[in-house]
Amino acid sequence: MTDTLDREGARTRPAVPKRRRPRKTGKQTALGVARLLATLVILFFVLFPILWLALTAFKPEREVFTTSILFRPSLDNFRGIIGGANDLVHPMFNSIIIAVITTVISVPLALLAAYAFSRYRFPGAKSVLLGIVATQFIPGVAIALPFLTMFRDLGLLDTHLALIVTNLAIVVPYNTWLLKGFVDGLPIEVEEAARLDGCGQLMLLWRVITPLAAPGIFVSVVFAFLLSWNEFLFPTFLARANAITLPVSLMTLDQPDGVEWGQMAAAGLLVMVPMIILATLVRKHFAQGMTLGAVK
Amino acid sequence: MHPGPLRMRGPPPIMAVRKSSTAVSTTTAARAGAAARRQPSAWRRVGIPYAHLTPALIAIALTTIYPLGVALSNSFRHWRVNETRTPQEFVGFQQYAKAFADTNFYNAVWVTLIFTVISVVLSVGLGLAMALVLNRVNWLSGLTKALLILPFAVAPALKGYSWRFMFSPDYGVYDKMLKTLLPFTDSINWLGEPFWALMVIVLSEVWGWAPLIALMFLGGLGSISPEIRDAARVDGTNAWQEFWKISFPLLRPLILIVVFLKAVFSVKIFDQVVTITSGGPGRATESLNFFVYSQGFTFLDIGYASAVSWILVVILGALAAGYLWLMGRQESK
Repeated sequence: MTDTLDREGARTRPAVPKRRRPRKTGKQTALGVARLLATLVILFFVLFPILWLALTAFKPEREVFTTSILFRPSLDNFRGIIGGANDLVHPMFNSIIIAVITTVISVPLALLAAYAFSRYRFPGAKSVLLGIVATQFIPGVAIALPFLTMFRDLGLLDTHLALIVTNLAIVVPYNTWLLKGFVDGLPIEVEEAARLDGCGQLMLLWRVITPLAAPGIFVSVVFAFLLSWNEFLFPTFLARANAITLPVSLMTLDQPDGVEWGQMAAAGLLVMVPMIILATLVRKHFAQGMTLGAVK
Repeated sequence: MHPGPLRMRGPPPIMAVRKSSTAVSTTTAARAGAAARRQPSAWRRVGIPYAHLTPALIAIALTTIYPLGVALSNSFRHWRVNETRTPQEFVGFQQYAKAFADTNFYNAVWVTLIFTVISVVLSVGLGLAMALVLNRVNWLSGLTKALLILPFAVAPALKGYSWRFMFSPDYGVYDKMLKTLLPFTDSINWLGEPFWALMVIVLSEVWGWAPLIALMFLGGLGSISPEIRDAARVDGTNAWQEFWKISFPLLRPLILIVVFLKAVFSVKIFDQVVTITSGGPGRATESLNFFVYSQGFTFLDIGYASAVSWILVVILGALAAGYLWLMGRQESK
């Protein structure tokens, strides 16, 4: 009871420091320390695997198979995967090409669709949008397996095209949903003004919507690239030596006689660092984007 | 529930903008149409929006709907790719019957179920705990919140290798730490024992998801107004009561949505199974996705693999329906 009065006192007169001091009871301090410790545990949990991978990547061969943290850093592991015995430059270029083309194709398609959902009320709008979102729940194997035999018949197995086509299955619905949210937020007045000036539909999309939605388009570009880059199931089914992507190429370091962990860590950095940078760029939209808008 | 306009006043600005925009854009479209040329109104109402949708719908139809149909058709046929290049005779539900008589299929269902339950509980539970710890405004919490997205950006295949490396018996850093801190785990070979091998896959998955889920919950907690908290504190509520009486009821709809979402992604687990255990030891970590992969790839039985993949489609369809229903309910509130 006295405690309650104390708090109210402190609240009405926050400028008096002497009255705030006694509020920190032993229990509260203990809670504060517990919270601090818990925060440090979270930091450890989140960061340690990333740091350990980065550390291992620079270890000389002898040190990789120890848990030492003091060693003379070496670039041998990177030499091994760039122009070395396990050259991963080719898979890396494949990953870049596939991710770029997937992005370039998917974002305009998704923007057009998002615009329609956002600006028109038409029969079937709700069910079509729901259907598009629902495609995100289809298991990859149910798409990869039929494509495996179809692409074989078309002679397209192990090509960039095969992986671009399958990546579109993920990225187009995803970006449609993402961009719809952004277009919803754009003011309609600018469009009206443009229309009154006699601006045609295509010109309107290109000259008015695209610049206005630029931040949203940037986010969708990042996600399209990230989803394509990290994709593993489709290239495992549909690619071999020619179109192999970087995440799948990690498996070439995983030999029956043991894993080249040093080079694995170095390759891991190549896979991870660009995506960490991209994710940081769209930090604010990340949780929302990754969960189909579960959180606003 | 009041259906009246009183409830409609509430929606966030985005919704409001959209509502007015549809109304206005019809009139603007009318003006533009009149200015250009006489168009039938059906074209304006249906044709224009679908013209915008067509490219995306064609892409989605070709890359998801069509292959899904092909898989369904294959699932009713006999087809081993090592025998013939094309699907063979129609066998009705035989491939499905085969699945329900196959102990390896049941094993995959079981593994997937266990994995889903444990990974959902751990991801959502840890995510919630992290959110509650970090729901403060200071530099350390701020920094930690900013770093929470990092694990999710890491390719799942790489998550697999990284966690497998850290749990290696001789040189794994987590293996060393655990055995030093908990001496009774000394004899455990994490990747060699069925349960622990699955747990390493679970951990790699939880590492990616728990921080992301924490971010979602932090968003939810942020919407609880500080006055409510202050009022509760004035009334002498302790942290425990504050959680159960204030935070939890407000987060409950979000928790439910996150559980469904995580369950969908857990049922689809594939990448880390390949990179951590390849389904082993034995078949102890063979998930449904991996089972389809091995039937199609190793045993080249496309008919059977297609049938199992369609069973997976149905399972995920049910989860997705639940998720979309929850989202719809959330939207209409």
